[in-house]
Amino acid sequence: MPSQQTLAQTEVDVVVVDDEETIREGCRMALEGEGLRTETAANGALGLELLARVRPRVALLDLRMPGVAGMDVLKRLPDIDPRIVPIVITGYASVESAVDSMKLGAFEFLTKPFETTQLLDSVHRGIHRWGTYAPAQSELAPRRAKQTQTLKSQEDALLKSLEAAEEYAELGGTPTALADELRTLETQADYHTRQLGVVHKKGKALHDFVADLHAVDAIVSRHQSKRSALIQILLDIQSQKNWLPSHMLMWTSRRLGVPMGRILEVATFYEAFSLTPQGRHEVQICTGTACHVRHAPELLATISSLLGIKPGQTDSDLNFTFKQVHCLGCCALAPVVKVDSAYYGNPSMKKLKEIFARCEKDAQAEGEN
Amino acid sequence: MTQITLEIDGKSVEAVEGSSLLDVARQAGADIPTLCQNAELNEKGSCRLCMVEVVKGKKRSLVASCAYPVQNGLVVRTSTPEIEKHRKLLVELLYPTALHLAKRYGIEKSRFDGPRGDCNLCGLCVNYCRDVAHKNVLFFEGRGVDRKVSFVPGKAHECSSCGACFELCSGGFVVNNHGTLGLNERAYSGR
Amino acid sequence: MPRLESPKALVALRVKARGQRAAMPQRISVCGGTGCVAAKASGCIDALNAAITRHDLSSKVEVQVTGCHGLCERGPIVVIAPQQYCYLGVAAADADEIIEQSIIKGRPVERLMYQVDKAERIESQDKIPFFRGQQRLLLEANSRIDPRSIEDYIAIGGYTALEQALFRMRPEEIIESVKESGLRGRGGGGFPTGRKWETTRNAPSDTKYVIVNADEGDPGAYMDRSLLEGNPHSILEGLIIGAYAIGANLGYIYVRQEYPLAVENTLLAIEQAREQGLLGKDILGSGFSFDVEVHRGAGAFVSGESSALIAAIEGQVGRPREKYVHTSVCGLWDRPTNLNNVETWANIPHIINKGAKWFSTVGTKTSTGTKVFSLVGKVRNSGLVEVPMGTSLRTIVYDIGGGIPGDKRLKAIQTGGPSGGFLPESMLDVPVDFDELVEAGSMMGSGGMIVMDENNCMVDAARFYVDFLAHESCGKCLPCREGLRQLLHILNRIVAGEGREGDLELMEELCETVATTSLCALGKSAPNPVRSALKHFRSEFEAHIREKRCPSLACVSLFHYHIDAERCNGCSLCQKNCAPNAIHGEHKKSKTIDQESCVKCGACETVCPPKLAAVSKVAGRAAPKDSPLLRQKTG
Repeated sequence: MPSQQTLAQTEVDVVVVDDEETIREGCRMALEGEGLRTETAANGALGLELLARVRPRVALLDLRMPGVAGMDVLKRLPDIDPRIVPIVITGYASVESAVDSMKLGAFEFLTKPFETTQLLDSVHRGIHRWGTYAPAQSELAPRRAKQTQTLKSQEDALLKSLEAAEEYAELGGTPTALADELRTLETQADYHTRQLGVVHKKGKALHDFVADLHAVDAIVSRHQSKRSALIQILLDIQSQKNWLPSHMLMWTSRRLGVPMGRILEVATFYEAFSLTPQGRHEVQICTGTACHVRHAPELLATISSLLGIKPGQTDSDLNFTFKQVHCLGCCALAPVVKVDSAYYGNPSMKKLKEIFARCEKDAQAEGEN
Repeated sequence: MTQITLEIDGKSVEAVEGSSLLDVARQAGADIPTLCQNAELNEKGSCRLCMVEVVKGKKRSLVASCAYPVQNGLVVRTSTPEIEKHRKLLVELLYPTALHLAKRYGIEKSRFDGPRGDCNLCGLCVNYCRDVAHKNVLFFEGRGVDRKVSFVPGKAHECSSCGACFELCSGGFVVNNHGTLGLNERAYSGR
Repeated sequence: MPRLESPKALVALRVKARGQRAAMPQRISVCGGTGCVAAKASGCIDALNAAITRHDLSSKVEVQVTGCHGLCERGPIVVIAPQQYCYLGVAAADADEIIEQSIIKGRPVERLMYQVDKAERIESQDKIPFFRGQQRLLLEANSRIDPRSIEDYIAIGGYTALEQALFRMRPEEIIESVKESGLRGRGGGGFPTGRKWETTRNAPSDTKYVIVNADEGDPGAYMDRSLLEGNPHSILEGLIIGAYAIGANLGYIYVRQEYPLAVENTLLAIEQAREQGLLGKDILGSGFSFDVEVHRGAGAFVSGESSALIAAIEGQVGRPREKYVHTSVCGLWDRPTNLNNVETWANIPHIINKGAKWFSTVGTKTSTGTKVFSLVGKVRNSGLVEVPMGTSLRTIVYDIGGGIPGDKRLKAIQTGGPSGGFLPESMLDVPVDFDELVEAGSMMGSGGMIVMDENNCMVDAARFYVDFLAHESCGKCLPCREGLRQLLHILNRIVAGEGREGDLELMEELCETVATTSLCALGKSAPNPVRSALKHFRSEFEAHIREKRCPSLACVSLFHYHIDAERCNGCSLCQKNCAPNAIHGEHKKSKTIDQESCVKCGACETVCPPKLAAVSKVAGRAAPKDSPLLRQKTG
């Protein structure tokens, strides 16, 4: 059993193996822009040689190349270095190739053409995986092939969980601690779905929950896990989910090493953040000085009457959240009301009724799906 | 560690450059009231009771002595009619908490009838929990007139053995309720 | 696009870009600032493009989306080049006519031209009174360039100043130049910029930072938004020059997240500048390296204060710190940091290009240059106005702004945002100048200029600002938090008709302590609106307290709406527009208002036909429902 030694630093973070120059250079530019040291190879044979020489954290492999194909490189990777996290690229997506590469240990699958953000998210997740699993990986190499089989039964799932428990233990955790953590996370998932007032099957609740935690990981790594980027990270979570669910804050706290107290201090200090679920539609009324002087309070009273809620509140159907904001910067149109991303200058009551009716129709349609 | 000289309340005083004016003045015998000051804690400047008059060259200003680093040649007065007037009003704003200070200024009632509670938000509990105990159980929630001290949900059980915030509280705010610590909800009833 | 490795390459690119611009015979510039977008400018843009395609004119004319032109009251704004026809209030339905008349036939579309009452129509933008009175040093470019195109910026001379600074001036010379120009901070403080740069440069440290403050928290002010949205490269250029002069290699642009378009355009500009080698390592081959990061604010007025902003960049809560040691010496991560407002940075390229001496001749002796104001509120031509310092308020509000709509009486002009004060009609001839405005009892602030008329209540205005500050205060220090809490409570009582003798004196006492003992500028300047309102409009406060009367009929507890049964003809228009359904009465019968449900929105008064004018505001609280004194005529 390996001791808890520090991870050896690799010189190179990512290797890209692809016969198309545009892909190689495109990936290289994007990755180096993120501060990731990248090397490339134009075919499978050169790729294998490069991988053996530099032992990166992540390998981007094009499936179909003349000569030694991506699949072959993938097969030989564990022999070169079982820690390297492979991400497969291909322009010819097919279910078989996807399944085949997953069985051979591919971590993720990118289909051409892919956006830079997709590439970076995948690579960051891969780097994160390298960091988390690297020490245990070298011991688990012979077992990797078995792990990547599609889970067919509860017994398979149990086995996989035991293997995960082993890895957790090797990182210094105890089985009871793991059980405690899992129980806490499960409670969080339950609470999360109950708070939203949505009834889900337990499995789906956990799935959504795990997806949220992955989302946090992606955001945190986009900001290089810098503690000073806390506010930017919370802004990203807020804009993705429309609020800050507590399990995502808890996960942020753990990943960044920032105490929950500080995260809550920041989350309650700024206007942009909401610690409760928001309605589907956001109605903002500007109460800046120019709008106030042009009689925004009267308009606020009108909207309040129409929606049945006061500023700062969300209606019980989670249709509308009504907010008072200080200055949207459209002072010439004062008084200004913003519904989602549309601005309205001094809307009449008739206009407001039209807008809210349209929003409610959307909500109804959504509910029926 | 440069030694410098400054004048406090008419006396010539020697001190180390950069040290806190409040400490230096108190050591020289000045009686400066404070509420949020504590030798162990890093945070300062909340209560403003320690304001003193400083003349630097031709400029005269009132500064918070707890946060002001001493320099050579300063002329300091720790109590003037103007300063006392401000201190008295600040204590009146705090009434009926900080009763020991109210007594000092002869304040027996407050002319202000707006809502306020028992917590004067001095921050001693939060700062201790964060910077000395490293538990991060207490935190400042919100901003402006809505600012208050809160427990991180689910973490209150971690503090039964410490109780330092209870000892530090200048307003009797964090109450020891049957052995467990809780926030005095009464304090926020007026907000 | 290849990196520019030398000044020569930049010049070559400029020549190329100019050629490209000139190659297109005609250009339609449509204002794409947030204000015009809100007024449906994107519909116009689409319609114009569709019309161009339909007439097969893509090689003869192009639509260019620009930044804010400034006359926001009359948006969407369209300008046709080269004739400089200026069209206002353009709708998507106008697109065909514009193409057919102005592009194909080369004639102006008269009905879209500027006109006031029945006066003669005005064809070009610079002859419109709103624009004619201005000196648009900073805003002028907004009408001519696409903020998403670095080539446009370069074509009109952008980055010339950078080249001059990096290759023909030493850092000390640049600082001397800024000092000589007399430029003072445009964010509100008015501190001499050159001196600030010098202090930062001389502070001992290898690592220094520069920051652009684009938090623009003053409600009613949107100058920085328009500069950053409409011409982000001008700010970048100023910033790089400043970084070079000060000795900083890393900078931050702090933009409030309420300005998504500004964030987007700034990020794009940075990307483009990096691509061209105008940001990053070895800029233009000069040996100087500098890069910049965008940091989004999360919504707190107080984090616009420089030490609070710095704390926010460090990932902490945006609370201000004591300023006994300046941020120029000990700022971001305890290093020397130079923070300036967007508008301040935008002035730098002009100072370098046209010279400090020229700049010092614009404006007044102690306040040089121009200032951008957001002229808003009860004014006809609401928008962004740039004038040389020293221009009088009268000129701005009447000559440029077109005066008060409805010919109402001017009551006050508010400048300086929540830190500023009210200037009554008697002070209309005060010039906009840092020191003059302070002497007059207000301050320049960031440039918000709110016009109020006879229907605005000054007690309500003072209460508005105290309410704003009480909730935007960080809450740390006692005088600001508790002082504002009590000030707000007293003002709330007064506007509700529960004011007492002695309230005004108590407020004045509070104001003094809050102003003297607060930790930061927010608290220290918080009493200004109250003090200023008390100074010029004390009688209004006294009427509220002693007579329980609001002279402007604005405070909701002190007036009620009344339907005159004699004048009401039962048309039911008011009833249909009453959101809380507080108006009762059968159709064709005169109506009554249920005062308990009435929310005082004023819709009934607005929709009642002018020839009937049956709805009016009446001072005082309404009589209770069961009062025998209440008699309604029905039928």
